[in-house]
Amino acid sequence: MTMKPMHWLAGAAALLSTTALVQAQDMAALEAAAKMEGSLTTIALPHDWCGYGDVIAGFKAKYPWITVNELNPDAGSADELEAIRANKGNMGPQAPDVIDVGLAYGPAAKDEGLIQPYKVAAWDEIPDSIKDADGYWYGDYYGVMSFMVNKDLVPNPPTDWADLLKPEYKASVALAGDPRASNQAILAVLGAGLAAGGSAGAEAGEMGLSFFAEMNKAGNFVPVIGKAGTLAQGATPIVLMWDYNALSARDNLKGNPPVDVVVPASGVLAGVYVQAISAYAPHPNAAKLWMEYIYSDEGQNLWLKGYCHPARFNAMSAAGKIPAELMAALPPAESYAAAYFPTLAEQDANKGVVTAGWDAVVGANVQ
Amino acid sequence: MTAIPTAPTRRRLPLNWLGIVPFALFALLFLILPTMNIVVGAFRNAAGDLTLANIRGLFAPSIVASYWISIKISVASSLLGAGIGFAMAAAVVLGGLPSWIRSPVLTFSGVASNFAGVPLAFAFMATIGPRGLLTLWLLEKWGINLRAEGFTILSFWGLTITYVFFQIPLMILIITPALDGLKREWKEAANILGATTFQYWRLVALPILFPSLLGTFALLFANAFGAVATAYALTGSSLSIVPILLFAQIRGDVLQDPHLGYALAFGMIVITGVANGLYIWLRVRSERWLK
Amino acid sequence: MKRLVSWAVLVAGMGYFILPLVGLTEFSLSMRRGEYSFDAYAAVLADPTFRQTFSYSVIMALLTIAFGVLLVVPTAYWVRLKLPRLRPYVEFVTLLPLVIPAIVIVFGYIRMFNTSSWLPLTGSTTGTNLLLMFGYATLSLPYMYRAVDTGLRTIDVATLTEAAQILGAGWVTILARLILPNVLVAVLSGAFVTFAIVIGEFTLAALLNRPAFGPYLQLMGANRAYEPMALAVIAFAITWACMGLIQLVTRFSKHTKAAR
Repeated sequence: MTMKPMHWLAGAAALLSTTALVQAQDMAALEAAAKMEGSLTTIALPHDWCGYGDVIAGFKAKYPWITVNELNPDAGSADELEAIRANKGNMGPQAPDVIDVGLAYGPAAKDEGLIQPYKVAAWDEIPDSIKDADGYWYGDYYGVMSFMVNKDLVPNPPTDWADLLKPEYKASVALAGDPRASNQAILAVLGAGLAAGGSAGAEAGEMGLSFFAEMNKAGNFVPVIGKAGTLAQGATPIVLMWDYNALSARDNLKGNPPVDVVVPASGVLAGVYVQAISAYAPHPNAAKLWMEYIYSDEGQNLWLKGYCHPARFNAMSAAGKIPAELMAALPPAESYAAAYFPTLAEQDANKGVVTAGWDAVVGANVQ
Repeated sequence: MTAIPTAPTRRRLPLNWLGIVPFALFALLFLILPTMNIVVGAFRNAAGDLTLANIRGLFAPSIVASYWISIKISVASSLLGAGIGFAMAAAVVLGGLPSWIRSPVLTFSGVASNFAGVPLAFAFMATIGPRGLLTLWLLEKWGINLRAEGFTILSFWGLTITYVFFQIPLMILIITPALDGLKREWKEAANILGATTFQYWRLVALPILFPSLLGTFALLFANAFGAVATAYALTGSSLSIVPILLFAQIRGDVLQDPHLGYALAFGMIVITGVANGLYIWLRVRSERWLK
Repeated sequence: MKRLVSWAVLVAGMGYFILPLVGLTEFSLSMRRGEYSFDAYAAVLADPTFRQTFSYSVIMALLTIAFGVLLVVPTAYWVRLKLPRLRPYVEFVTLLPLVIPAIVIVFGYIRMFNTSSWLPLTGSTTGTNLLLMFGYATLSLPYMYRAVDTGLRTIDVATLTEAAQILGAGWVTILARLILPNVLVAVLSGAFVTFAIVIGEFTLAALLNRPAFGPYLQLMGANRAYEPMALAVIAFAITWACMGLIQLVTRFSKHTKAAR
């Protein structure tokens, strides 16, 4: 850590206090303050997730004087909050400045006082339903639940949830995580429930559980955590994961095996992640600069390149700011038209039902 | 024994304890204090009050079942690992094999003992999983359908067989020095007295080795009990062993109850303590006739 | 007869180990469609970060081994000699790192040694490296202790110590020139396991923000299929080679026991 002359520190502190946190700062002043800090610490950003590798590289290219410490790309949302808690008094490079967590974690972090508010310049273009009114957390990107299919082993990919129960897909279908702990897996169950006609929340959760129970009984379900590797090797030829993960994995596999990413015809479920700045961030101005970057046109388009739908998608496409080739690489827009964004309350209710009932109802447990 | 005057003895005692200070300091600073969080957290709830609710929660049938299956897998893989590891170590050290075998086996064991987690799970899936090399070879060459026979890697025995991969090398590594310590004179004396190899092993070698065997078994047990990465990568959502439950509570992408997770970890520490106590008791009994 | 049985046991045992490794290697060679190739390996080895992180981890491993030996051998010796009643407690403490998740340990470290604590280790690179080494030593403590303890069991510690003391040796001489050479095989076993642990360790290094091999493995492997497996095979091979080197160095620098 470099020693900062006291008067610069006072100046930076004055800068922070005079700008009411709810207003976007003057970019030049922000850059100057961030330059004082010199580095940014991120956590839980795998390079293949939403093209974060490109986003971080773009950030570093735009501000070459900043060092980016990347902590634990394997962290789950709970790990990120724990990292903030554990690093409360720590100004070292182990303390995360910014976090990217599941929607349900935004309010929880705000209640616990772990995050600080900040409204980026493009604040108004972020849909209200995915941001906190006070500016503590704000949706960054979303994707929909899709089927990733290994075309070598499954020549006839399923097109909808109901297809997954067909006998031709025996021992083929897997979730991308543990349904007791992983957001991705739990929302997959919700998606199945929605397709079965349940209303979002507890009812869809229960119908989703029965769906998976039926799939398990039919012998189609493989209780292994599905990844690109297991898909390629053949243990899990069909994996239920976010479309951006599936598309990115498809690119990495480079046709070996050939992969189809199918957005189901019904029960299209959107999952939102949110950004926030740690209340104890050692580099708050660098953190704000990061936020400004990822919500700028350049940052949002890099996420789109990583197959994630950025938060400002609607506003940007209306203003024609999205390059045509990026749009072409995504699954057809009609698939997303029917996407359902579950509210926090619905997600909570669903989660409660699924985590409690998975073992009992689906009974994929082996003794 | 020469008589020791009492005054020097009393003065000597504090000095004895001095020898353990570096270790005690290290353990305190870098093991016990950082993890006090768990012990304290197990008895708190989200509001911060002291409570026994988490501990009571441990006795829910699903959690008891997961502890039980964790213990079963640990015991099974430790027994298999200890048995096979012992046989291999004995073969290398005492089996009359060429001396150049020893070094590669020991170094390989070193690497293999920590080969766990995703690569290990994947390696086994790629071998005896539903589309594994061995499975397909057995099917095509010999017509044996593992699945039809009821074997699947996503099961108790599948996980045990995978765990054994790092248990055996650990056993080999730890027991080899003990086998080295079996003095040749004992074998010769037994031969002179007319003992067969079997009698030598049963009456001389195994009793001497027994405390070491027990100790290594306890290590293997704790090793398997705490192993989570492999199980998670292999069975994901199908096998509810305690470390997976623990992880679901204190990590994960959905809000869970971290205090229950701490209680789970606390329970694991208690079980390890009990297992260790059992091992100590057995060892004391077997060491009675030794020095 | 004995030799035949020994060979049979060894071959059968090694067969069990080779098979999954073959499965893994076969998959890692399948990156190019329809034929075996080293594409995944080329992708991995082309990365300069691979060499940097691997050498960092090797150095940390050697340091951890040195520290572990310095901590564990005297402790195990002393406990065996003077404080036998403490043995159960010491053994229980050494088993704890196996059941306490590494993620709990590292968050505990950050809380205890952050920049506003009494010992701000996380504030500097050297301090964090030191903290990481202590963490590694903690993780490998069970194996190192058990190995050394097993080795000590085979030598008559009390008599050897008495004899040395009669001849006028001090404690350091006893430990360095008497005990250590006699338990070298055991120490080596512990050292091997420690080495493997440090090379593969992920959680501590990732959260303390150190450029170790474990986090690099993770970063490479998150969403890919073939590269992480190639990386696992490479790591396996190189770790094995390093251990072979350690073994060789030890053989040349110390006298081994009298030939059997």
